[in-house]
Amino acid sequence: MGGCRRDRQGETAEPDRERKDAVGRNMESTDRKTAIEFRNVTKTYKLYRSDKLRLLSVFWKGVKHTEKRAVDNVSFSVRQGESLAFIGRNGAGKSTILKMITGVAFPTEGDIVVEGRVSALLELTAGFDEEMSGRDNIYLKGQLMGLKDKEIERREEEIVAFAELGEYIDQPVRTYSSGMRAKLGFAVNVCIEPEVFIVDEALSVGDKVFQAKCLEKVNALIEKDNVTLIFVTHSIDVAKKFCKRGIVLKEGRMVCDTDIEQAAAYYEQHMADN
Amino acid sequence: MKTLFGILRDHFIWKHQIFKLAKSDIIKTYSGTAFGWGWALVKPTVTIVVFWFVLTVGFRAGATASGDPYILWLIAGLIPWFYMDEMITGGTSAYLTYSYLITKMKFPVSTITTFIGISKLIVHLFLMIIVLIIFAVYGYYPDIYLLQLPLYMALMFIFFSNWALFAAMLSAISKDFMNFVVSFVTAVFWLSGILFDVRMINTPWIRTVLMFNPVTFCAEGYRDVFLYKVWIWEEPVKLLTFSCTFVVMVILAVWSYKKLYKEIPDVL
Repeated sequence: MGGCRRDRQGETAEPDRERKDAVGRNMESTDRKTAIEFRNVTKTYKLYRSDKLRLLSVFWKGVKHTEKRAVDNVSFSVRQGESLAFIGRNGAGKSTILKMITGVAFPTEGDIVVEGRVSALLELTAGFDEEMSGRDNIYLKGQLMGLKDKEIERREEEIVAFAELGEYIDQPVRTYSSGMRAKLGFAVNVCIEPEVFIVDEALSVGDKVFQAKCLEKVNALIEKDNVTLIFVTHSIDVAKKFCKRGIVLKEGRMVCDTDIEQAAAYYEQHMADN
Repeated sequence: MKTLFGILRDHFIWKHQIFKLAKSDIIKTYSGTAFGWGWALVKPTVTIVVFWFVLTVGFRAGATASGDPYILWLIAGLIPWFYMDEMITGGTSAYLTYSYLITKMKFPVSTITTFIGISKLIVHLFLMIIVLIIFAVYGYYPDIYLLQLPLYMALMFIFFSNWALFAAMLSAISKDFMNFVVSFVTAVFWLSGILFDVRMINTPWIRTVLMFNPVTFCAEGYRDVFLYKVWIWEEPVKLLTFSCTFVVMVILAVWSYKKLYKEIPDVL
């Protein structure tokens, strides 16, 4: 843990050639606003033996439960335009952090500040209404993201074309296969021009051709300089492709916050094998 | 108090989305069926006709205290009940129906039951127009007392929106609560003054207990408007008891929201 920190300090003093790109980007963005800030964030899940006990606990504090610390005293800040990958094994707290950035989970302690329109693909789905058609869901999602109907109309064709659903776009989402859902979810999220784009393992679904298309789209998105990308994946290679910075998590704690190459190396060395 | 203002602020900020979601909630309920909007009419009609048949032909109860046609008396009480029924059960399962709004995107949890309430209210307004036509056919034309109708609607809407917020919170935490509500909704229906006239009960304490029942208050309110022609302030005891339950409901809703809103996304 300490080693990782030391490495990082060493590097800021003497950046090697490979890092120049990332550093250059960082330097030019020093005047950029902070997109995401975590200050001593801790998230504990309360686990009850049954739902009955959970209901009881609402009225009576003394109900027995165990606590699981999913995220433990994590602090970091991300500037606009940065691309950051969270690396860690299952249960390291990656998804919980993404949920807190998205705003669908609340920290038990600490503060979180997020600026800008957040578009998230959590757990492979974008959150669709099962009963509504794909097209209606595009509108609903757009409206919930704060877009005007006109703006959605402008993007509708692009989304429909990107999702490659053909006739199915006017069928209820409940009839979709998981691949189709993921495609539509990705298309909607990427086309509403997010300012903070969160991808949670979402690129691992769909066929190879669609995956390539997604990667290309993500690239195009982060080229635009004010889009912040937050990425969670098990595939280090994909993370390396997109992200300049990596945070390694272990059992809810941050063990390493540095550039992606170092973080990946640290992860592979310390954690992947045990 | 701060929580209450927080909830109201969420409603203000997200007002456009709330109405959009209310609209899509209605469309979702009735589209995709060949008969479409007709279903909004069929269910209440069937229920009213069945009750009318059972009560007048079966139980020969066809008399009202005021001497008005029994069918009108039944309609005036049952139409608001349909709304309350939808809110009691539909409100309770709100977060399970709309879990994607809670777990997949940033959306103020407190507004979910509100837009469901609005969606049901719009269906209710649509039924109300038909009710007005039926009353006109019987020779009961709209008069000055109709001015009270929006007031009763608003009270009913706000009260049951608060109920829905409270119930949705608890049932998201545990399905036990939802089963509890579903089991007791029939009891609430029969124990409220919907199918009988509370005024005709001779035991005073039962009458008082029933007056605390907000369902009775709403059903009676509608009958005051359409049949009894009574102003809301003419029965201060009733108004006072309802105000008490109203305040208690708001407190419960805000309390449950404050206590649970952070936990809801984790358990859904």
